[in-house]
Amino acid sequence: MFSQLKARFGAPLSVGVVALIAVWLIGMVILPQLLMVDYSFKPNLLPSEIGSDKDRYTLENYATLFGNTIHLTIFFKTIWSSVLVTFLTLFVSYPLAFYLAKVATPKQAALCLLLLLIPFWINEILRTFSWYIILAYKGPLNALLLGLGFIDRPIRFLSGDGGVLIGMVYAYILFMIFPIYNAIESLDGNQIKAARNLGAGWIRTHYRVIVPHAKPGIATGCIMTFMLAAGSYAVPALLGSPGSRWFTQIIYNWFFEGGDWNQGAAYAFLLLVICIGFIGLVMKVFKVGLGDIAR
Amino acid sequence: MDSSVHLDNVVMQFGDFTAVQQMDLKIESGEFFSFLGPSGCGKTTILNMVSGFLEPTKGAVRIGGQDMRGVPANKRPTSMIFQNLALFPLMTVAENIEFGLEVRGVSKAERRKTSDRLLELVALEGSGTKKVSELSGGQKQRIAIARALAVEPQVLLLDEPLSALDLKLRQHMRTELKEIQRKTGITFIYITHDQGEALTMSDRVAVMSAGKLQQVADPISLYKQPDTAFVASFVGENNGITGKVLSYANGEAVIDAGALGQLIGKAHKPLNTGDTATLFIRPESLHLDVQRDCQIMTQLDEVNFEGSYLTLNSRTLDQRALSIQLGANQYQSDMVSGKELALSYSVVDAIVIAGEVGDV
Repeated sequence: MFSQLKARFGAPLSVGVVALIAVWLIGMVILPQLLMVDYSFKPNLLPSEIGSDKDRYTLENYATLFGNTIHLTIFFKTIWSSVLVTFLTLFVSYPLAFYLAKVATPKQAALCLLLLLIPFWINEILRTFSWYIILAYKGPLNALLLGLGFIDRPIRFLSGDGGVLIGMVYAYILFMIFPIYNAIESLDGNQIKAARNLGAGWIRTHYRVIVPHAKPGIATGCIMTFMLAAGSYAVPALLGSPGSRWFTQIIYNWFFEGGDWNQGAAYAFLLLVICIGFIGLVMKVFKVGLGDIAR
Repeated sequence: MDSSVHLDNVVMQFGDFTAVQQMDLKIESGEFFSFLGPSGCGKTTILNMVSGFLEPTKGAVRIGGQDMRGVPANKRPTSMIFQNLALFPLMTVAENIEFGLEVRGVSKAERRKTSDRLLELVALEGSGTKKVSELSGGQKQRIAIARALAVEPQVLLLDEPLSALDLKLRQHMRTELKEIQRKTGITFIYITHDQGEALTMSDRVAVMSAGKLQQVADPISLYKQPDTAFVASFVGENNGITGKVLSYANGEAVIDAGALGQLIGKAHKPLNTGDTATLFIRPESLHLDVQRDCQIMTQLDEVNFEGSYLTLNSRTLDQRALSIQLGANQYQSDMVSGKELALSYSVVDAIVIAGEVGDV
């Protein structure tokens, strides 16, 4: 690989580029992560105790989670809710991605993409706050539903997980739409016509021809959405009530309110490991390889 | 079973563009019917209207007498073979063939029986478990045919399915398609820009140009008695000599072809004196002697040897190109560039049609 770079850009530039990447990768990704892993296996000590015989490796920080039912419940609720967010996002995104890739004229597709992108020019906190306003007890959504006569009294969207789910689906929809859109776009239109021509209705055409083709894109979108949802902080912090806490909030509390970085690091690391393991399992179940996703 | 296709005064417009001009055409049950025309002439649009991917702007498509208006593509008794075949790459060969039956809820055992039978029909027994990507071009072709036949369509639509194959395979597949059509007895509608394919396989051919039907006839009549200048020049090789009509009487016309003098040919339609008309004469109807009705002098440009025959490209005094076809055994060593050729033809072999070569 380096020889290719050298042939194209010359030795000095290639060394420079590789060195910059190495500094970034080692200094800003790998070392901090290793430091966090190291933290997670050590007890939280006063500065004076560092280096004393109390300063040794232990699994105590990891054991804390399994000893605390509230934290453990929140942990699994976070994983489960992230799965739910992923499915909801997929449910909303797939038809849109199909429309963009195969139904819309180029003009319609461009307009639709622009409408999808513009909200993302606004900062995530502001976007989430606008949902806070929309979903409020005396907010516009309740007013609309009341006005149309669908409900008799306002719904508390923000008291349970509902608000968090809506906010997250909205926040991550692009990460789902684009990979699926790319995958469906590469499908030969004649495949769809052939399925129709052989008598397949729309549902069968989708699940026998389009979805199998788009599977790598669907997998990529689901993985990104799931990881983002499980690691999200802003949306649950703003739209979640005290009754629907996210595991990231607990990690945050350990770091910045409890002042226990070691404990926080252990929690964060557990979340990461479980998420990666979960994704691996799902990929296995749906027979998606890493190579498919990188395609 | 009636599997005729009636294009009942159909018109297809896309915005301001008329892809198919008003057309009334009946394709008989069990006929091998071809639409022949250059790309962009509207022939694929016709296929899309019959299969239900497009609804005609005006008029109706009737299959077996049934009005197909409002019947979606997946409910029509048609089956299509696509130009790029569109086999499903993620399914096996057998799954591809069985797809249409799976859709119809046919049991697995029954499906397997049909796919085995069809694989035998297309001479690919035992390939059912293969992946599509493992097949050669010709094999894919035959699987596409099997897949289309599996649903027992009344009408099989073929959209230039042979264009991607090499010459030998193409000629072989022509024979096979004809054979399959004979065995199954269903109506074939074949779309092509290759006149060789259209002429060898079809019972009747419709020549199209710019969304308009030029002529519908059996291959021999199309070749011998073209109705329009477009058909005369598009179907087969032809020499066109344009001039002014001097006289028309008893199915024969005399034209004034400038430096070439007066030339005579058959005219199937009356012509008005003074109008522009073109005399068409096939390369094989020009002879290297002066014993026939009309003579033309030309100068030889080049000789092309094409195997069983020779093509002589020559030029008249007023720089009109004329090609002459001879049997390979008529080659003479003095056929070199610049040689004067005295040609003649029989009036029965020439046709005079109103208009010029480029007219549509």
